[in-house]
Amino acid sequence: METITIDPITRLEGHGKINIFLDDKGDVDNAYLQIPELRGFERFAQGRRAEDMPQITSRICGVCPVAHHFAATKALDAAFNVEPTTAAKKLRELMYMGYYIYDHILHFYYLGGPDFVVGPDAPASKRNVIGVIEKAGVEIGKEVIKHRAYGQKITAILGGKATHPVCGLPGGVSKGLNKDEVKNIEKMVDSCIDFAKFSLKLFDDIVLKNKKYVDLILSDPYQLATYNMGLVDKDDKSNFYDGMVRVTDQKGKEVLKFKPQDYTKHVEERVEEWTYIKFPYLKKIGWNGFSDGKDSGIYRVGPLGRLNAAKGMATPLAQKEYNRFYETLGGKSVNSTLAFHWARLIELLYATERAKELIKDKEITSPKIRNPVGKPGEGVGIVEAARGTLIHHYKLDKDGLIDKANLIVATTNNSGAINMSVRDAAKGVIKAGKVDDGLLNMVEMAFRAYDPCFACATHTLPGGMPLEVNIYDNNKNIIKTIKQNLQENL
Amino acid sequence: MKTIILGIGNPILRDDGVGIHVAEELKKQIKKPDIKIDTAFTGGMNLLDQMIDSDRAILIDAVKMKNKALGEVGLYDLKDFSAFHTCNPHDVSLPEAIDLAKRLGERRIPKDIKLIGINIGELSCEFGEELSSEIAKAVPKAVDFVKKEVVEDE
Repeated sequence: METITIDPITRLEGHGKINIFLDDKGDVDNAYLQIPELRGFERFAQGRRAEDMPQITSRICGVCPVAHHFAATKALDAAFNVEPTTAAKKLRELMYMGYYIYDHILHFYYLGGPDFVVGPDAPASKRNVIGVIEKAGVEIGKEVIKHRAYGQKITAILGGKATHPVCGLPGGVSKGLNKDEVKNIEKMVDSCIDFAKFSLKLFDDIVLKNKKYVDLILSDPYQLATYNMGLVDKDDKSNFYDGMVRVTDQKGKEVLKFKPQDYTKHVEERVEEWTYIKFPYLKKIGWNGFSDGKDSGIYRVGPLGRLNAAKGMATPLAQKEYNRFYETLGGKSVNSTLAFHWARLIELLYATERAKELIKDKEITSPKIRNPVGKPGEGVGIVEAARGTLIHHYKLDKDGLIDKANLIVATTNNSGAINMSVRDAAKGVIKAGKVDDGLLNMVEMAFRAYDPCFACATHTLPGGMPLEVNIYDNNKNIIKTIKQNLQENL
Repeated sequence: MKTIILGIGNPILRDDGVGIHVAEELKKQIKKPDIKIDTAFTGGMNLLDQMIDSDRAILIDAVKMKNKALGEVGLYDLKDFSAFHTCNPHDVSLPEAIDLAKRLGERRIPKDIKLIGINIGELSCEFGEELSSEIAKAVPKAVDFVKKEVVEDE
């Protein structure tokens, strides 16, 4: 058996490793994505003051500090039995839109975009943001930098700090907005709306008008018909900050809708021997191995999962794009992994439009930004991180200290799907042992579409430094696993 | 000359946060108006943002070096690193961010960027705020290293 290892995965800083197992003929037999994961967060959190969680969790991983901050803050709202003021909710959501603006811009132009803009067959040395600038022009590069910075400034004005906000408190926020800040934010938001429109046009021109790319998006190796999950508002429109969790099937039909506090009734986590990463699935459907279709409870989150899980977007321009998305790609649900990129841009447009609605809201300058907290108890907070549904769950003791903490991060929610996408992409592009840089990139493209945050994808396993050795037989099954500091915790 | 000293790392990921510990110690020992000392739990673009407008940047970070002793402190050039460690996999590397900024006409990038690396061997995958004993011993060494670096250049 020959093993091809892509390591490090460029642009994801080498945190991931993909093992592709070939059969005797050199075709792909199977592929696994293995990641050195962070562990022990639950134990680390135990005994800490609950109100510190929004700050601490924003340091779990540099990828989505703002999402962790608000998932934690919302879990504390619930745990302290307090409903934030309406003004506080709007301020939080506005800040959240700033986070989406910079995060989605970063992913499209720096991480995911190069594959399309520069081309999937281009040499690795060109498939990066520098290559994008060379192709699209320096002026566009400047616009990218400017609007990413705007997203961060909006976040910083509301959150105190751009990267690690300090504003979230149970029952509200610590800081409101004054009129000058409102003016400043509105100007930036207007510019971001135009930039989001421009980005969609760019996607149109470069990707959708290129038959080769559209064929690639619709090609077999990139199709995965899983269930889809995302937060929705009262009209079942997609919402990033708040709402009910909605799950739809492969045809877009609702199969579940539940309140955040009920997630344990609907989501189960599968443990596999070859990785610490857990694979969440829908209890109602059950675990059916790494397979898609109706009988497999694996679901997808993130931009594509959200669009599929919702009935539409709550703002007019994004709704138009939403309709066009489904018209172009063949109706609901869209199961193409590469469609994540387009979905991400539609969400960018929504975030800018929603930011505009919020900044124009009269209540945004209200001084009523916090309600007093009640007695400590238990709470679940769910937000949509840029890369998918993020769940924080805390149990507090009577003194308000953390007794138990459980997190399911976005990339974990996508872990089953990511693994299948990697396998399928590998199957599609590696034949008879023939592998070159362009082919391997197709595999990377499969999981890059999910925008995974590997550093924080697992954290649930307590224990010392584990060691794992897997031995495969000629059918590539694990026949023996030697584990250290691992078995008793599984 | 405006200098920024940045301790980089994740403060809740054990030895990975050694740069933060060094920066906190330096804050106590260096008090000069033209030297700013800060911490950064980020990489790439955001890290570059923090360095903009300084003439010189000194970065202190955990590094993984084979063939070097645990806790060994060394001075490195950014060019020595093809992929610069960052806590954030959702970002470009620092050299890439600098390259990009230069192409876009950014003139406020520090001319002199140095990295003081503390070898931590393997990156801890477990959350914690404490440093291991070997790495804790490296903190005063790294502090002296930075102080010497700052003074020598002046």
